[in-house]
Amino acid sequence: MAIQSPLIIDDRERGLFRVHRSAFTSEEILALEREKIFSKAWLYVGHESELPKPNDFVTRGVGGRPVIFIRDRDGRIRVLLNTCRHRGAEVCRLSSGNSKVFACFYHGWAYDNTGRLVSVPDGDAYSASFDRGQLGLYQPRVESYRDFVFATFSDEAPALVDYLADARYFLDIIADQSASGMEIVAGTHYYSMNANWKLLMENSVDGYHALTVHQTYFEMMMNLGTTPPGIDGQRGIGRGIDLGNGHAVAMNPELGSPIMSPDILAEKQRWRASLVERFGEEHATLIANVTRNMDIFPNFAVVDLGFGIQVRTMFPTAPGHTQIVGWQLVPGDVSDAHRTYRLDNSLTFWGPAGMATPDDVEGLEQCQRGFAVKEVEWSDISRGMGRDMPPIVDELQMRVFWREWNARLTGESYQREGAPHDSSYLGAAT
Amino acid sequence: MTDVRHEPATLAVTRAEVEDFLYHEAALLDEWRLEEWLDLFTPDAVYEIPATDLPGHVESDASRTYALVYEHRTLLEQRVIRLKKPTAHAEFPHSRTRRLLANVRILGAAGDEVMASANFIVFRGRNGRDVFYVGRYEYVLRHAPDGLKIRHRKAVLDQASLDPHGKISIIL
Repeated sequence: MAIQSPLIIDDRERGLFRVHRSAFTSEEILALEREKIFSKAWLYVGHESELPKPNDFVTRGVGGRPVIFIRDRDGRIRVLLNTCRHRGAEVCRLSSGNSKVFACFYHGWAYDNTGRLVSVPDGDAYSASFDRGQLGLYQPRVESYRDFVFATFSDEAPALVDYLADARYFLDIIADQSASGMEIVAGTHYYSMNANWKLLMENSVDGYHALTVHQTYFEMMMNLGTTPPGIDGQRGIGRGIDLGNGHAVAMNPELGSPIMSPDILAEKQRWRASLVERFGEEHATLIANVTRNMDIFPNFAVVDLGFGIQVRTMFPTAPGHTQIVGWQLVPGDVSDAHRTYRLDNSLTFWGPAGMATPDDVEGLEQCQRGFAVKEVEWSDISRGMGRDMPPIVDELQMRVFWREWNARLTGESYQREGAPHDSSYLGAAT
Repeated sequence: MTDVRHEPATLAVTRAEVEDFLYHEAALLDEWRLEEWLDLFTPDAVYEIPATDLPGHVESDASRTYALVYEHRTLLEQRVIRLKKPTAHAEFPHSRTRRLLANVRILGAAGDEVMASANFIVFRGRNGRDVFYVGRYEYVLRHAPDGLKIRHRKAVLDQASLDPHGKISIIL
């Protein structure tokens, strides 16, 4: 079955943007995505704080491949593909641990944790052409930006810092929040949805859905004595920004936190004061008084709402099914009480058992069910098209994703939309 | 924690009474009688679902882990209030649930509290999809004048990932 053409309609003159719904349902498009996106782009692997000591490792899926994410014996971060070079078995079957060696249980081939093949039982049964030096565990290119580790399976991908383009400023804002380093909290959210992965990338930077989908969450905030921010979002505060290369961010003035005590308020003020001391008033305001929802193309979302920082990846197992992994990042140098405050608020909101994420997923799953109506071919993502500085309730953030997606699948180039990132937005009302 | 603890205090409740209590709780939840269910909790209660990759964590680690659920009574009440609204989209219309409890055991007693565990399978049907959550409950139950009350309710999932479940929008 031929791929629909065009996949997107990007009509700048009339201010209309449409996405063909086969993008969400086609097996052929999914196969193209595996080839032209997941095998070519930089994919988030993990955070360096997950591997505090040499020889620490975790195993996980990255872009559909099983990998060992490890800090090797020399302290260097590596991504080793978890498949024996002999006959393919996973050489590491633990979810985490600390090990200098990975021995494949099937025939005993063993690798050190730099990936080198160091032992082949009965190894003299091979010809002279058999070269162990060429049979180490496969390693994709790995680079780290401010402790965020990415891997790519393509030799043609630019350096990570160039790939990140303006997204790196927002990873900076996250990483700047702790002088001792940010830390991934123990405890991972592994879940799924019956919807296409790109719907969750859209939702992660969507401001338009907040009042409708999360109404009960805002009501809960009011019940607990906090004023919710939703009305401001509708009044045009906030900004959606094209960060280049398919990355986008939605910035908004800080939200309240439903769970907050006077002690924690004092704690937060002390924390903000320490940021002012390190960075000055402006950057401290950007960190402490502004929220940011960011998508890093293709499948990594970083959401900093002030009371917590959620990082998540999503990977399609089928056009209508996605596996999702969510983690929580905290500043490593805050008190236990501050950390508890962040966790209390974060897991109340995020995650498959929280009081916000399930409603988001319900929306996405309902869209996927609606895509069964083949007579309606296009989704409309035109909101705010052509505005130089669109608020977060506009859809620039999604169009940025779709243009890059379309370019990678079809080779069509695109013009960026809206004013580029600058450091002027500090959450003030327009 | 699965070993029976031998406390000097006399066990003032039988396993049959604990079972009756847990079956009653399960019926309230399957019938979506959530306010009556909330009344089963003490004011200092906690409802907890650890992250699936940390099934063995202890309560004192709560400030250190990104659990699926960790709620004191105040938040638990907010969860119940939310679930009754048609705007709680993930549960409107409500899921159909059916809880199966087995292997109910009293693990020990201390003062006016009893520690108990049970195995569970919770069925959830919604939008044409049926899923089963499997795991173990750990309860701390307290004697009150009007019967047993729940001081701590922990549901430990045996599944490594919520796939195909996707969410835990019900009370597990």
